[in-house]
Amino acid sequence: MTSNTILCSHLIAEIALRQLPCGGWAALASSSQPAVEPTCYSALSFAAAAPTSHTERAFEFLLRHQNLNGSWPVFAGDDQDGAWVTALALMTLRNLPAAIPARLTGFEWLMNYAGRESDWFWKWKFRTADRYVRFDPETFGWPWFPNTVSWVVPTAFALLALKQIPCSCGGFEQAPFRVQRGIEMLLDRACPGGGWNAGNGVVYGVPVAPHPDDTAIALLALTDHRQETVVQSGLQYLEHAAVDLCAPWSLAYAILALAAYGQNTESLQRRLTSMPDLLAIEDTSTLALVLLVLDVERALLELGVTA
Amino acid sequence: MSLTRRDLLVGGTALAAGTSVSAPFFMPKYHVDRRPKRSRVAILHAEQYSQKLDEVLATGLRLFPIDVRGKRVVLKPNLVDYAPGDAINTHPLLVLAAAESFRRLGAKSVAVAEGPGHQRDTQLVLSLSGYQQSLRDERIRFVDLNRDQLIRIPLRASYTGMESLWLPRTILEADFLVSMPKIKTHHWSGVTLSMKNMFGIVPGARYGWPKNLLHWKGIQESILDICATVPVHFIIADGIVAMEGNGPLNGTPRSLGKIVLANDAVAADAVCARLMGFEPGRIPHIHDGSRFLGNVSLGHIDQCGEPLDGAAIPFQISLQFQHLCSALPTE
Repeated sequence: MTSNTILCSHLIAEIALRQLPCGGWAALASSSQPAVEPTCYSALSFAAAAPTSHTERAFEFLLRHQNLNGSWPVFAGDDQDGAWVTALALMTLRNLPAAIPARLTGFEWLMNYAGRESDWFWKWKFRTADRYVRFDPETFGWPWFPNTVSWVVPTAFALLALKQIPCSCGGFEQAPFRVQRGIEMLLDRACPGGGWNAGNGVVYGVPVAPHPDDTAIALLALTDHRQETVVQSGLQYLEHAAVDLCAPWSLAYAILALAAYGQNTESLQRRLTSMPDLLAIEDTSTLALVLLVLDVERALLELGVTA
Repeated sequence: MSLTRRDLLVGGTALAAGTSVSAPFFMPKYHVDRRPKRSRVAILHAEQYSQKLDEVLATGLRLFPIDVRGKRVVLKPNLVDYAPGDAINTHPLLVLAAAESFRRLGAKSVAVAEGPGHQRDTQLVLSLSGYQQSLRDERIRFVDLNRDQLIRIPLRASYTGMESLWLPRTILEADFLVSMPKIKTHHWSGVTLSMKNMFGIVPGARYGWPKNLLHWKGIQESILDICATVPVHFIIADGIVAMEGNGPLNGTPRSLGKIVLANDAVAADAVCARLMGFEPGRIPHIHDGSRFLGNVSLGHIDQCGEPLDGAAIPFQISLQFQHLCSALPTE
C-alpha cells in the first residue's frame, strides 16, 4: 500500500465520520449545522474516490434543500433566497440523472443572478461618483449573495457551472452573454502584478496583493483563455506562490489549477500529503478538497475543468 | 378667517402624512440605552512585542474589577489578511498574553475566535501571521467564525434596517467577550478599533467576503447594529505598533507604544481615537455609539495608567477623513 492510498482511506474514513444523519456535512467538525459548501466538496471527493452510500445521501440532502426559486441556501435553515453555493451544488449534481429538473431550475436562477453593477444605475454610479475601487463596470459576474456586487470566486464557480450547460437553447439563450461578461470581469479585475485578490486589483490607487486560492479558482474558470496575458501572469504568480504555501486549502487549489494548465504538480502533491495533522483539520471543505486532489485528473473531471 | 371642516380634514391629513414620513428620522435607532454611568480606560506602555506582555497585561487587568472565574472567555483579535512586515493584525503575542492572564484569573476556558474579513483561507492567515503555532503550543482553541454554527439573532438597533443577523454560536455563548483590535486607520470607516473589530464576528460564509452585505448596508450603521446586539465585555487594543495611512490593509506601521484596556467599547475607541490625534465625536459610529452604548466624554471616563496625550503628529489618514484630525476646528 502506498502512503497516498493509506492517507486516502484515512481521509475517507474521517469525512464519512463527519457526515450528519441528514446526509449533509457541517462546515466545521465541531458544528452540527449541515451546510451546502462542505456537502458539495465531500460529495465530489467521495464521487472521485469511490461512489458510496455517503454520496447518495449527500445528493438527497442537496435535492431536499434546494430553494423553491432554484437556488441553494448556504446551510439548512438559512432564510436567504439563494447564494453563490448554487453553482457548486449544480456542479456536484452533474452526473445524477434524477437531478436534471433541479439543475435546470438552478441554472435558470444562476442566469438571472448578477452583480449589482449589471444594472445601469450602478454602472453610472461606479463610472462617475464611486471611483475608489478601479474596475470597468461594463463587465460583471456573480456576487456572493443577491443585491451585492460581483466577486472573483462566485464568478469563477458560476462560469464553471455554466460550462456544463449542453447548449444555449431552451431558455439558456443568454448563457453565452453571461459567460462572456463574466470572463471579461475576471480579466478586468486581476491584480496588476498577476493573480487575483477577492474582488479588485486596485483600491484607492494602490495595487492589492493576490490570494493564492482566489487566483487558482479564477484560473480554473479561465482554462479556455490561457493565451490571455492576464491568465499567464496569474499562472506565473501561482507557480511562484505555491512553492511556499503552508495551508492545505490554498495548496490543494493551487495544485488543481496548475495541473489544469499542464504543469507538473508532483512535488506540490508530495508536500500536501506530508503536511502534519491533516486529519485534524476542523474545516470539512478543506479536508474533502485534500482528498479530491489526491487524484488530480479525476478531480478536474468532477469540477468540469477542461485541462 | 374661518376654518371649514374641509380645511381641517386636509390639514389633519397633511400633518399625519408629514409625521409618518419624518418620525423615523427623529426616533432613536436603538432599543436600549446601555451606557454605564462611568467607564474605565487604562493606557499601558509597551515598547515592543515580547514575553514581558504577560506582566504588563496582568498589571493592567488589576486596574479593573473584572471577575472571569468559571466563565467562557472568547478573545476576538483583528486578523484580516497577511502581508510580511505589516501591522495589519493584532499581534499574536498580545493575544497569548491575554489568554494567559484570563486563565490565571480563573476562566473556565479561553478561546480565540475570528472570521478573517478578506482572506477565505483562514488557516493560511493563521499560519503566516504566527498564530497557528503559538495557539497550538499554548493549547488554545481557535474558532473560525466565518464557518461556525450560526444562530439567527434579532438586532437591537436599526441603523442598517436589517431585522436580524446570523451570528456564530461561539460568540453568542461566550460569557466574557474581549475585543482585541489593532489600532488602525481605515479607508472606509476612518478608524478600525474595538467596535469596528466586531465586523469579524459576522460570518463570511453567510454574508460574503469581505463581509460584503454589511458594506452595502453601510459600514458605520452595521458597526452600531452589531455592537448593540452583541455586548463586548472588555477591550484590549493593540497600539504597540499601530497602522496609519491607507488602512486596514495597505497602511504604514506606526509605533505608538501603547496598549489600551477598557470596560466600555465606545470609551476605548474614543481614547484610541484621541491617541491617534483624532476627534472621536467626528467618527460617526463612535458619535452615535455615545448615545446608547458607552461614553465618549472624558467627564464620564476614569482614565488610569499613562496620561492621555494625543499623538503629537496625528495619524496619516486618507483625504476624505482629514476632518477627523483634532487640530481642525469643530464645525
